[in-house]
Amino acid sequence: MGKKRVINTILVQVILAVLAVIWLIPIVWLVVTSFSGTDGMNTSRFFPETWSLRNYTRLLAEPDTVAQFPKWFMNTFIIAVFNCIISTAFVLMVSYAMSCMRFKGRKALMNMAVILQLFPAFLSMIVIYFILKAVNLTNSHIGMILVYSGSAGLGYLVAKGFFDTIPKSLREAAYIEGASEARTFFTIVLPLSKPIIVYTIISSFLVPWTDFVFAKIILNSGVSTDWTVAIGLYNMLQKNLLPHYFTRFCAGGVLVGIPISILFVIMQKFYVEGITGGSVKG
Amino acid sequence: MKEKNEKNRTNPVGAFFFSIGAFLKEFVTAVADGDAGVKASLVICGAGYLKRKQIIKGILVTLLELAVILYMAFIGAPFLEKFGTLGTVQQAMVYNPTTMKNEVNDYDNSLMILMFGVISLVVLILAVILWMVNVVNNYKLQKRAEAGKHINSFKEDINRMLNEKFHVTLLALPVAGITIFTVFPLIVMIAIAFTNYDQNHMPPTALFTWVGMTNFKSLFTTNLTMTFGYTFRKVLCWTLLWAVLATFTTYIGGILLALLINSKFAKVKKFWRTVFVAAISVPQFVTLLLLRNFFANTGIANTFCANIGLTDLLKKLGLITTNYIPFLTDPVWAKITIVVINIWVGVPYLMLIATGVLMNIPEELKESARIDGANPFQIFRKITMPYMLFITGPYLVTQFTANINNFNVIYLLTQDIYTTTDQKLAASNGKEIDLLVTWLFRLTNEFYNYKMAAVIAIFVFIICAVFTLIAFNFLIKGDKEETFQ
Repeated sequence: MGKKRVINTILVQVILAVLAVIWLIPIVWLVVTSFSGTDGMNTSRFFPETWSLRNYTRLLAEPDTVAQFPKWFMNTFIIAVFNCIISTAFVLMVSYAMSCMRFKGRKALMNMAVILQLFPAFLSMIVIYFILKAVNLTNSHIGMILVYSGSAGLGYLVAKGFFDTIPKSLREAAYIEGASEARTFFTIVLPLSKPIIVYTIISSFLVPWTDFVFAKIILNSGVSTDWTVAIGLYNMLQKNLLPHYFTRFCAGGVLVGIPISILFVIMQKFYVEGITGGSVKG
Repeated sequence: MKEKNEKNRTNPVGAFFFSIGAFLKEFVTAVADGDAGVKASLVICGAGYLKRKQIIKGILVTLLELAVILYMAFIGAPFLEKFGTLGTVQQAMVYNPTTMKNEVNDYDNSLMILMFGVISLVVLILAVILWMVNVVNNYKLQKRAEAGKHINSFKEDINRMLNEKFHVTLLALPVAGITIFTVFPLIVMIAIAFTNYDQNHMPPTALFTWVGMTNFKSLFTTNLTMTFGYTFRKVLCWTLLWAVLATFTTYIGGILLALLINSKFAKVKKFWRTVFVAAISVPQFVTLLLLRNFFANTGIANTFCANIGLTDLLKKLGLITTNYIPFLTDPVWAKITIVVINIWVGVPYLMLIATGVLMNIPEELKESARIDGANPFQIFRKITMPYMLFITGPYLVTQFTANINNFNVIYLLTQDIYTTTDQKLAASNGKEIDLLVTWLFRLTNEFYNYKMAAVIAIFVFIICAVFTLIAFNFLIKGDKEETFQ
C-alpha cells in the first residue's frame, strides 16, 4: 500500500513537472528575451547572446514616440481599477437577484441575457464608438471604463451558479431573524462567496490589460500617450518596428504580468478553503 | 400558487401574449373605473399620487414625463421624420452669399439619423408602456385608498426597495448599462444589415439607405463577381469545428489538470497552481504575439525542429513541401497550431475554475460515499462530475459560444502573417483560418463593409442561439436550480 502510494506520488509529480515546463516555455522565453542586449528577435537561440537591463531602462526612463510605457501603464491601471469595482458590483448584484430572489420576469430577463451574449460583442463597438463620440468621451479614461464595465452585468452566469450552491437554509435563517433582503445579501451571501468574488475581480481586472480591439477603436487619436498597454505593445510589433522594439516589447510584457501575478497571489488563498462545507453545521 | 401558475404556462410565447392581454385589460379597467385622479394621470402622470398625498413620487413621475415630452418634441421628432429615407440631402459645398464663402450645406448624416431614430423609437415605446403601467398603478392606489388600506409614504417605498423589491435596486444600474452598451448598439447593427452602408456609402460625405434583403441574398451568392457564398460556407465549417475542438480540449484538459493538482498524491499543490497561473498572468495578446513569432517560418521553433531533424522527416513523409514547418502559414498546419496554442491558453483558466468548484463539493457527500464503499472513480463519476457539470454547465455553454466568437487567438496569431492563396476567398476578404467573427472584423475594420459584417453577425447570432437553446434545455432546466441548494 505504502509503495503504491510512493509510485503514484512520483508519477503525478513527474507529469505535473513535464506539463509545467511546457506551459512555462513561452513565459521563460519572454523573460530571457526581455534581458537581451539586442533589439530584434533572436531566431537561432533560445537564450540571448548578451544580457542587459537596457530594455527596461529605456522602456521606463526614455519614452519615445513609439514607446510611452509608464504612461500606458498608469492609463491601464486606472481603467482596470474602476472597471474592476464597477464590474464586480454589477455581476454580484445581478447574480444575487437572479439566484436568491424570485420575482416576476426573472426567467424572461435571464433568457434575454442569454440571447444578448450570443451576438459578437465587438460588432456593436462601432455603434458604441459613435455614441461615445456624441458625448465627447472617445479618447478618454471614462469612455474606456464605460465600455468595459457597462455591460458587465451580462457576465453573471458563473457567479449565479456559485450562489445557487449556497444553502437556502442560511438565507432563511437570516429572514427569520428579521434581516432585510439587502442585509442578507451583504452579511450572509457575500462573505460566503469569496471564491467567486475573487474570480470576478480577477477576470474584470484583466480585461483592460488584455483587450486591444475595443481600446484601438475608442482610443483612436493616434497620440501614443493616450493608449493603454495593450495597444501600445501591439503597436511595437508592426512589421517595420519589430526589429527595433521586439526585446522592449518583451520587457513590457514582463512588467504587465507583474501586477496581475501579484494580485493573484494575494487572492489565491481564497480558493483554498471549501466554503459551504463549514458554514452549515447540524 | 405562483409556482403553479408558472408551470401551467409552459409555452413561453403563449404566456407572453397572455400577460400582454391581461395587462391591456387592466389598463382599460383602470381608465374606465378610475376616479378623477386616475383619469388626470392620463395627462399629468403624477396626478393620482399627488391626490393620495404621495407628493415626492408624484413630482418625480411628472418630471420624468416632462423630460420625455421635451426630448421627443425637440430631438426625437426631427430624426424620426427622416427615418424612412435615412436622409436625402448629401453633403456638398454651397456658396453662402452673406459670408461670401463656400460652406458645407445642412446635410443629412444617415448614421446619425439611424441611431437617433432607433433611440427615439425605443424611448417612444418605453414611454407608452410606462405611461400605461403608471395609470394602472394609480388605479391600484385608488383601490387601496378606497379599501382603507395603508398607503406607503415615500420612505416606506424606499425601504421596500431594500427588501421585497430589492431585485429592482440590484438590477437597475446593470440593466441600464446593458441597454446602452449592448442592446441599443445591437439594434442599430441589425438595422445596418438592411442598408447599403459600405465603403461607397460612408457618412458624412455620402448617404446610405434601406435596401431590404439584398445583403442576405449576397451572402449566399457565388458567381463571377461575388464569392460571399463560397467564403461563408468555408468559414462557417471551420468556425463550428473550431468551437467544438477548442471548448472540449480545454474543458477536459482543465478538469484533468485540476484533478491532478488536487489529488492526494500531488505535493506542493500551491506551487503547481502558481506555475500554471503564471502562464496566464501575462496578458493574452503578449503571449499570443510572442508565440506568433515563436512559430514564425523563420522563428525559433523552426530552428529547433530543423536542428533535431524533424523538418527533414516531415519533408520526407510529404507532409510539408517547404524548408520550414509552416506552423502559421499553411491552412492545415495553422489550424492545428491554433488549436494547440488555444489549449495552452485555455487550460489554466479552466483549471482555476474547476479547482474552485472541486473545493466547494461538500466533503460530507464524498465522505458518505466512501463509507458506502465507493471507489475514487465511482465518486468522480457519481458525485464530482455531476456537481462539476451543474456548476460549470452554463460556463461550458457560454464557453462554446465564446469560442465561436473567439477573436483574440485567431486574430493575434494570424493577422499580418497568414495570406490566403484561394482567389475566391480573397475576393470576399476571407481566409481559410478565419472564424466568422475575424472575417467580419476585417470586413469592418479594413474594408468598411458594414452591411455584410452586420449580416454575418446576424448569422453568428442565429448559430449561437440555436445551439444555446438546445444546450440549455438539456443542462439547466429551471427546476434543477434548487437541487443543490
